[in-house]
Amino acid sequence: MSMAGRAGSRGRAAQAALHLGLVLACLAVLLPILWVTRVAVVPASMSYAPGLLPELSGENFEALFAGRFPRSYVNSLIVAAGSVALAMPFAVTLGYAFARFGTAGRAGRFAVLATQMLPPVALVLPAFAILRSLGLTNSLPGLVLVYGALNLPFLTWIMMGFFKGIPVDLEWAAMSDGATAGQAFRIVVLPTALPGMAAAAVLGFILSWNEFLFALVLSGPRTATIPVALAGLQTSNGVQIGTVAAGVVLAVLPLIVASRFIQRFIVEGLTFGAVK
Amino acid sequence: MARITLDRVSRVYAGGALGVQDISLDVADGEFLVLLGPSGCGKSTTLRLIAGLEEVTSGRISIGDRDVTDLRPRDRNLAVVFQSYALYPTMTVRANIGFGLRMRGMPASEIAARVDQAAALLGLTPYLDRKPAVLSGGQRQRVALGRAIVREPEAFLLDEPLSNLDAQLRAEMRAELVRLHRSLGRTIVHVTHDQVEAMTMGDRICILRAGRIEQVGAPLEVYASPANMFVARFLASPPMNFLPARLEAGAAPALVLAPGVAWPVPPAHAEAWGRAAGRPVMLGLRPEDFHLEPAPGRIACALAVTAVEALGPETIVTGDLVAVPGLASLKARLGRGQVPRPGESLTLHADLTAAHLFDPATEAVIPRPSVPQPVRSA
Ligand SMILES: Nc1ncnc2c1ncn2[C@@H]1O[C@H](COP(=O)(O)OP(=O)(O)O)[C@@H](O)[C@H]1O
Ligand SMILES: [Mg+2]
Repeated sequence: MSMAGRAGSRGRAAQAALHLGLVLACLAVLLPILWVTRVAVVPASMSYAPGLLPELSGENFEALFAGRFPRSYVNSLIVAAGSVALAMPFAVTLGYAFARFGTAGRAGRFAVLATQMLPPVALVLPAFAILRSLGLTNSLPGLVLVYGALNLPFLTWIMMGFFKGIPVDLEWAAMSDGATAGQAFRIVVLPTALPGMAAAAVLGFILSWNEFLFALVLSGPRTATIPVALAGLQTSNGVQIGTVAAGVVLAVLPLIVASRFIQRFIVEGLTFGAVK
Repeated sequence: MARITLDRVSRVYAGGALGVQDISLDVADGEFLVLLGPSGCGKSTTLRLIAGLEEVTSGRISIGDRDVTDLRPRDRNLAVVFQSYALYPTMTVRANIGFGLRMRGMPASEIAARVDQAAALLGLTPYLDRKPAVLSGGQRQRVALGRAIVREPEAFLLDEPLSNLDAQLRAEMRAELVRLHRSLGRTIVHVTHDQVEAMTMGDRICILRAGRIEQVGAPLEVYASPANMFVARFLASPPMNFLPARLEAGAAPALVLAPGVAWPVPPAHAEAWGRAAGRPVMLGLRPEDFHLEPAPGRIACALAVTAVEALGPETIVTGDLVAVPGLASLKARLGRGQVPRPGESLTLHADLTAAHLFDPATEAVIPRPSVPQPVRSA
């Protein structure tokens, strides 16, 4: 009895300590974001002023919209969505071939990841050279192409994982039910893999959305993406911290929405296996 | 006509793993054939080869008078029910059942009619618009069956369709499958590792071991005349008892279990068993060949009881032969209400006319004339 009581109180103490740790960890993650939000919504002159919310103002956002930011926002949307749309069909078919037929063997599968293993700086100059020979530097199609290529290996591996989780019995059932191998893939496997494809697409979108180095080298003033545009606010006259903060807040918004989606899709993607 | 013939079929996997080897099997039109064997013996492989989901390494397969060895699965017109049921998770029950008809380009109105009919037959009508994920195991199993039935295929290939069901449902579905077979009249190849299913469902059993066929025959025939020790062990529960012995020839041939412990060979078997005289043999006796009552020809032996499983309708007694300690642990099946206690010494009477002798080196049976089925004494 007393043993149980003591164990119980010790358990409660451990729980409290655990929760305290979690709260601190959350704060460590959240504080910078909260601070950026705070800087974005107070007047630029008060960016470094003491006080939690000395005064509310939209002036940072006005400054942001007066500049090239709206354009870069649209650019980022086009590049991120376009690169995912470009890479997904290849990632899906390649991932399926890897998962089901062991195409290219283990070595081949890892070779696909080679570009992921090199430091990005080693890739950015060749990419520039290729785009220049195609006349696609400073253009959105050029960025879409490069981001698509950068996304492909990692999207392929995600899709391979999802396809491996789909029992081959499903395809066998479809084929003995009269489907061709192609029909079995399109009508049975693809819809089953849809949550996985959505999750992969969102991840690819986020990667492209946040990419800085390639965008900096490959884009021009009219094709800059958000990270490049925000970096451009750090001028020789100093950093316009209020405007940057406003830009960061707007840039993070779609990612928050996306991460909600991704949670749902990944959970769904992992539970379809329960269909026995 | 859907007679299924496998002619010396082998399947070797990449890396040399053996799926099945040199399988020759003839399933008659309308027959219910059970493929029985332990896990990994090649039952599913055999089924997949018949269905065309895997290619044979060598050999031919024909269905009816067509050689289908090189045909795609869709051109073989067989229906497969998988152990996992393999229901299409994104489709409703209705779409699952109708899938095969849709793939064959049947008009939607006719698909609907046939799906409704199959659903009614299997009691699935209330669930037609649900997704497989929300169905119970038994309902999923029925959907898988419905998907097969609705196509009216030439033959059904069932891969352990009952293994995911609980005991009661499994017993019900055993009977239901047999009923379905009778009403549909189609060939069925049914894979299982459950010897009760094998004994009760099939016209014939084909017993596989490590990719090879061990024996094919009607269930009671295989039970009465197992071809080797593996079959004798596998087809019944509890399995046949094996006692190492030596066959001594002479005026009165006998099985010598140990110096001084000799069991006379039944005169009916003396001639057939004679060719093993002077050699070590394995004496195979089923648990049901031990009786409490003496009778002419039965051999009395005392058993030191070590364990008793009273199942209700019968009692399984485990013990050692008192005359030859350490020879082998024996199981005997006693009738209802006969429940000895562990530690007790029990005198049993073994019916050697029902016994089999096996060659301990090859494990093959030493043939003898078949005897009428021994009548079970209560
Ligand atoms: N795709 C495969 N690759 C390699 N070996 C396989 C494959 N499928 C089955 N096997 C092997 O073939 C043998 C028979 O398998 P299977 O037919 O699935 O047995 P079961 O009788 O349990 O259905 C097993 O030893 C198994 O390991
Ligand atoms: Mg199997």
